[in-house]
Amino acid sequence: MRTLRRTWQFRIARPALAVLAVVALLAVFGGRLAPHDPLAQDPNHILSGPSGSHLLGTDYLGRDVLSRLLAGTGLSVVGALEATGVALVIGIIPGLASLWLGRVFEWAALRAVDALMTLPFTLFAIAAIGVLGNGLNQAMIALGVLLSPLFFRVTRAAALGLRQSPYVEAAELMGASRSWVLRVHIWSKVLPTVAVTTAQVLATSLLTVASLTFLGLGVQPPAPTWGGMLATDLGYLAQQPWAPVLPGVLVMITAGALHLLADALRDSGAADVLRPGGAAPAPDEDPTPVPTVREEKADAHLAA
Amino acid sequence: MPTSQPERPDPAAAAPVLAVEGLHITVGGGRVEAVRDVSFSVHAGESVGLVGESGSGKTLTCRSVLGALPPGCAVSAGRATLSGTELTGLDRRGWERLRGVSLGAVFQDPASYLNPSLTVGRQLAEPLRVRQGLSRADAHRRAVELFAAVGLHQPEQVYHRYPYELSGGMLQRALIATAIAGDPDLLVADEATTALDTVVQAEVLDLLGRLRSERGLALLLVSHDLAVVAEVCDRIVVLYAGEVVEDGPTEQVLAAPAHPYTEALLRVASIGDWSRRELAVIPGRPPEAGQAPRGCRFADRCAHATKACTEGPVELRPSGPDRRSRCLRAAELTLSGTAPQEVNA
Amino acid sequence: MSAEQDEGSALLRIEELSVAYGRRGGRPGRQVLDSVSLQARAGEILGVIGETGSGKTTLARAVVGLAPVSGGRITVDGAQVTGLRGRGLREFRRTGRVQYLFQDPLRSLDPDLTVGALVAEPLAATGAGSREQRADRAAEALHRVGLDAGIADRLPGQLSGGQRQRVALARAIVTRPRLLLADEPVSALDASNRNHVLRLFDRLRDELDVAVVVISHDLSSLAGIADRIAVLYRGRLVEQGPTAEVLTRPLHPYTALLTASAPSVRREHSIHAGQLRPRADLPGWALEQHQQGCGFAARCPFTSDACQVAPPTVGSAGGREAACHHASTWREQLAAPALAT
Repeated sequence: MRTLRRTWQFRIARPALAVLAVVALLAVFGGRLAPHDPLAQDPNHILSGPSGSHLLGTDYLGRDVLSRLLAGTGLSVVGALEATGVALVIGIIPGLASLWLGRVFEWAALRAVDALMTLPFTLFAIAAIGVLGNGLNQAMIALGVLLSPLFFRVTRAAALGLRQSPYVEAAELMGASRSWVLRVHIWSKVLPTVAVTTAQVLATSLLTVASLTFLGLGVQPPAPTWGGMLATDLGYLAQQPWAPVLPGVLVMITAGALHLLADALRDSGAADVLRPGGAAPAPDEDPTPVPTVREEKADAHLAA
Repeated sequence: MPTSQPERPDPAAAAPVLAVEGLHITVGGGRVEAVRDVSFSVHAGESVGLVGESGSGKTLTCRSVLGALPPGCAVSAGRATLSGTELTGLDRRGWERLRGVSLGAVFQDPASYLNPSLTVGRQLAEPLRVRQGLSRADAHRRAVELFAAVGLHQPEQVYHRYPYELSGGMLQRALIATAIAGDPDLLVADEATTALDTVVQAEVLDLLGRLRSERGLALLLVSHDLAVVAEVCDRIVVLYAGEVVEDGPTEQVLAAPAHPYTEALLRVASIGDWSRRELAVIPGRPPEAGQAPRGCRFADRCAHATKACTEGPVELRPSGPDRRSRCLRAAELTLSGTAPQEVNA
Repeated sequence: MSAEQDEGSALLRIEELSVAYGRRGGRPGRQVLDSVSLQARAGEILGVIGETGSGKTTLARAVVGLAPVSGGRITVDGAQVTGLRGRGLREFRRTGRVQYLFQDPLRSLDPDLTVGALVAEPLAATGAGSREQRADRAAEALHRVGLDAGIADRLPGQLSGGQRQRVALARAIVTRPRLLLADEPVSALDASNRNHVLRLFDRLRDELDVAVVVISHDLSSLAGIADRIAVLYRGRLVEQGPTAEVLTRPLHPYTALLTASAPSVRREHSIHAGQLRPRADLPGWALEQHQQGCGFAARCPFTSDACQVAPPTVGSAGGREAACHHASTWREQLAAPALAT
């Protein structure tokens, strides 16, 4: 919550969050909001431009573009969420565990991650579909596995820095268990960093979903998806630009918003785990002396 | 006293190397006054110590003399003169002409003032070549001479060392060598020995004293540690809450202080008599910059304060032949210092 | 050990402790401590002084199991701690009998936890008592260190340096420890705060009957509170004894150098540091880094051939010890002040 609050204070974040809120709404309610059945074909209005009953026109089969867009949002977004969710779970838990479960596990996890990082996303997803059958779920899970190294590395790096802090050492000296240290000292500090990565990974997943559906993989036609619409209607670009262009624009805007959000999260400093005294100091009655030049001695480096 | 006392320059005879008059410094973009009406001077061959706690304004004063005030801080009134050159309002090129030539400085953490990827010798030789136009061989030789002058053993070998290979004391000596390379008139040492081990600190302080007497260097030493200033400085200027509260010859001021704050500092500082266990504290806290009371700024922590002390601003007045004090009651109070007739609490 | 030291009542007993870093396979590694023996009793403050590289922080860390011990033994309140690992070590730590105070309070307090949570953490992490009981004990600890209980809702970033160190101290005493190790507790503080915190140690030692070991590089802070003082130089114990005596009449030339070097407002030094600096004509062997010889030989003005062998620690009257071949004779050899460089 504190992370969100701090990010909101960043001007850049506001339009990004607004866009994403709209997309989220559409994903959930889009199908119900659609004025027409996305699959209903109207042979009388093929490739027609925007009109009263069809706000964004119709495609080459007479289907209402707006309805297809609204309905397709859900599928595309859900796919991206699925992949990201899988990546989160497979990445974060081993990422933290690699620091606390001993050398052997650490080595094995690092090597597995190295291997995964060498594989390209889209190709792997296509191969997974070929093996596991044509379904968006399978493809997304495979994508999630491939994206997990990002979370692994980010979580591990953040926790590695934190693990060496004096306050973690102090907790160990109290006899605190590993789970206590993780829960109380590490977890909440790792989260903001993870949030940044999550936003980026969502964007990547979204683009990958769009690519896959563009290629006709993963989703059976005639179910509408952004990528699918882009693919099927691209040929009719000259006659009815709305049908292919809009889905493409939506993908761009959503991915862009996600990246902006990631930037804002990072810049807001909420994810700055290495800065000592993370909370912005707000001195009131008994603070450190005010003068701009801090004179309190900083010879912590005088250790034996 | 092993640090040899130079013949005291007669203040009336020569103009001071550094003269600070009525200096006012504001912080926070001009909103708050952190240093008020500070005046002191340093003559050639003399060492002056600026002493005070955090927030006393000593660091800001020191930085203003070096032209290195942090952003948002500015000199709002008063002036400072160095060897005849007016420092206030000097532009960047003016400062560049002064630094290294008339003015040298050493600071607290020597390692952070050196480039870790160059040898220390090279870092000293470089300004010699640039500023003084020496050839590479001459600069090398002069650098080795300077290292020897600051007491580094095997200076030729030290020349080729990288900063990480040298101890804190050696690094600080190297930096002192850099600071005096241009034969400046004034050397400013801002908490220069604070981060050093005790034994090394004593060595570096001895070095500063020696340089002062050998080269007629004017030395401005800024420290929170009264004992350090007591060991090295001829004159002491005590700062509190942005004002000078007392100044004068060190021995006299410490033997018989003329301001309660100085008396309190003495009790808190390193005692020197190891068999006594005494941990004096000064109750309370200095006022925030800009929130100082109208009257004497030390009154709320002072054991000798009276109502008159809080009524209006107190001026700095003479309290002896070469001394000043910002205490209304200086003449009537007998404050305890290091002189033997004191009765210790 | 001098017979005057009552062996039975020592809370902390360090015997011939050696610590070496980087020992792998056959490589001996870097020796940080070499056969150091010390004791501290309940209700006593032992000061350990040394410069950078003396091994003083390593000594404290070894007592709490944070340093690789290569020899010797450490016993706390009867329990041997040197052999403890993993679960055993954690069990011992959970008893809260030994507490460690870090040098920098800003970094040893989790910036995202409130003061109340921080001080109660040693109890909460071990599941001691109910939440109310823990809060009560935390309030009591805060009160003991002179902080108002209302500070419990603040974050460390909102406190001054002195207050932070007190919070760290409150956290250390909340488990009612028997032994408290403080690593440079006042080095990062202002002069005015320093004495406040040191006085606190003095008071706590009496109120809680705890043994306190204070590590410092600053003589004046130790002179103010330590009952006994131990001087370390390059991993070896060179002298120990009652503070006033060790500092006013040191037996070891290094201790004398330390006291002579410490700045004083009185500018009085019975011996000046210049008289204790090494002569220019040191014997060649002294300049090599010999483990066998006296570690101080390279900086000592009184080095002789006898110093090629590490000096044994020799006890003398009044519970004092020193490790120097010339402990009783070097004063006579002092160069007159005028001749010293």
